[in-house]
Amino acid sequence: MITLENVTKDYSLGKGNTVHAVRGVSVEIGAGEFVAIVGRSGSGKTTLLNLAAGLTRPTSGRVTFDGVELWKLTDTQQSYLRNQRIGFVFQFPSLLPTLTVLENVFLPTTFGSGGNHAEARQRAQELLVRVGLADKLSSYPRQLSAGQQQRVVVARSLINHPEVLLADEPTSNLDERTEGEIMELFHDLHTSLGLAFVLVTHTRQLVSAGMRTIEMADGLIVNGTAQA
Amino acid sequence: MSLLQLAWKNISGNGLRSWVVALCALLVAAFALFSTLLLRGAATSLELAAARLGADIVVVPEGAQTEIEGALLMGAPAHFWMPQQNVEILATFPGVEAVSPQIYLSTLVGASCCSVSEMFMIAYDPDTDFTVRPWLQKQLPGGLGLGEVIGGDYIFATEGEDGILVYGTLLKLKGNLEPTGTGLDQSVFFTLDTAHEVARISETQAEEPLVIPPEQVSAVLLQTKPGSDNEEIAVEIYRSVPGIYPIQSDSLFSSSRTQLKSLLNTVVIIAALIWPLAIVLIGMVYLMAANERRRELGVLRALGATRRFVSQSLLAEASLLALCGASVGAFLAVLAIYLFRKLIMTSLGVPFLLPAPGSLALQIGIGLLLAMASVFLAALLPAIRISRQDPAIAMRE
Repeated sequence: MITLENVTKDYSLGKGNTVHAVRGVSVEIGAGEFVAIVGRSGSGKTTLLNLAAGLTRPTSGRVTFDGVELWKLTDTQQSYLRNQRIGFVFQFPSLLPTLTVLENVFLPTTFGSGGNHAEARQRAQELLVRVGLADKLSSYPRQLSAGQQQRVVVARSLINHPEVLLADEPTSNLDERTEGEIMELFHDLHTSLGLAFVLVTHTRQLVSAGMRTIEMADGLIVNGTAQA
Repeated sequence: MSLLQLAWKNISGNGLRSWVVALCALLVAAFALFSTLLLRGAATSLELAAARLGADIVVVPEGAQTEIEGALLMGAPAHFWMPQQNVEILATFPGVEAVSPQIYLSTLVGASCCSVSEMFMIAYDPDTDFTVRPWLQKQLPGGLGLGEVIGGDYIFATEGEDGILVYGTLLKLKGNLEPTGTGLDQSVFFTLDTAHEVARISETQAEEPLVIPPEQVSAVLLQTKPGSDNEEIAVEIYRSVPGIYPIQSDSLFSSSRTQLKSLLNTVVIIAALIWPLAIVLIGMVYLMAANERRRELGVLRALGATRRFVSQSLLAEASLLALCGASVGAFLAVLAIYLFRKLIMTSLGVPFLLPAPGSLALQIGIGLLLAMASVFLAALLPAIRISRQDPAIAMRE
């Protein structure tokens, strides 16, 4: 589904200094797969995830989604693809503080094809029930715990029926128990919805049976299979 | 959720920033509208006053130029005289089509025989008049009779009466003229016969008699023949007749026009300072806000918002804030003009007339557009800049 071919990403720090965040990596993520990208901080995991999602342009190499090269698409086409086919769960609190929980969940439908508003609200409510926050629809993010906020983010990532969910250190700010709950939710969604999952984590304990593991160090894949 | 709803939620969730931007828009709109209303109101008022006078040349005694302007513009009582024989002399000048004398009088201060204190009164000669009668024709086709007056917009009959008590004579108020914003609004007009009748009665009925010197007039109004050179005629009159001063209608109120011009220059200078400053301030606020919201906007891009949506969302916020701030600013400017117009007139020494509703609505519209354009312009660069940023970079702090 998502293919990265010999992708590199360099960041210029000015005065001739360059960070080589990803160095000639090739990875393929198949439909319905659960892939864990592990590695220490600064190993290039998040950059690889951003490259896979089209959130940053590779310095060289090709990124394709179902055979379509992401960086040959216009901004509108690329945005539409992200909106409709990819779900995101970020490491940091990513809910809009001025919107209620329900509004945050159906926010991505605002950017899409402008579908039925009532349907979007209905689906957002169903998703919030699914992640155990049926009683928090009208709450604001500041009124929720970190774990509850991350559940809202998961619900938001599913609003447009994506084919792949990209999660970047989704449990790094959570306590152990909440971390377990979120991971359980991911597994449940993966199994029940048949979604492809890409989980970036520095915690090997989160890697469980059935996941394909890719280990990164210094911008390179040092362990694991690049293909499904 | 629509783009505007999202923008509105961001506005309500970011109080301080919203207040700063709205305040800037308020100041720009209020200043633009206040100064426009003031300058246009004053200019319109001057034009109307000159038009109402209806003469091509006004001849007054030499040295009375300032006094007649004060009387016509601010309603300040004027007392100056010149020989009546000047009327016949002036009629003989080539290019002069019609001449008509006027007498300027005023009521007494704090006297029970006058119901209005220090009111400017203009007596005209109905046989030769060509200035007062044209605007009387609509209301009083037959003109004014003996003991009848027509008042400016601010003249009202004494309570319980249908007239005004002047030097012990109750003059019947036959109607009111359209407002001009000048001293003419606080003046009354009557015929020379009425003036002499009031003077006669005042000798027995008033606390002080009304004195009209015999064979004297205050001013002579001249109408010139079409195609004549008014300046040439005025120069010729000034050179030939001693003790008088001809004022051409387009140079009448020259001191007010000069005052207005210097006021306009001041406004332009202030605007030239305030406007770019407001734009820079709003631009800085938006740049800071956009930087502060980099991660949030990066998330929006990741969730599928296009660059266009992000910049439009920021600009929609700016426009909504501008509209709110500018609306309040426009309301305050109109309120200030309405409440303090007399104070402004007195302190600036210029007349003022509130514009007609249609013109006011147009000026308010222009004020709102100017403020919105300023805020839009200020927010444009930060909006474009932030929307072009790589989402992954924007989300990294």
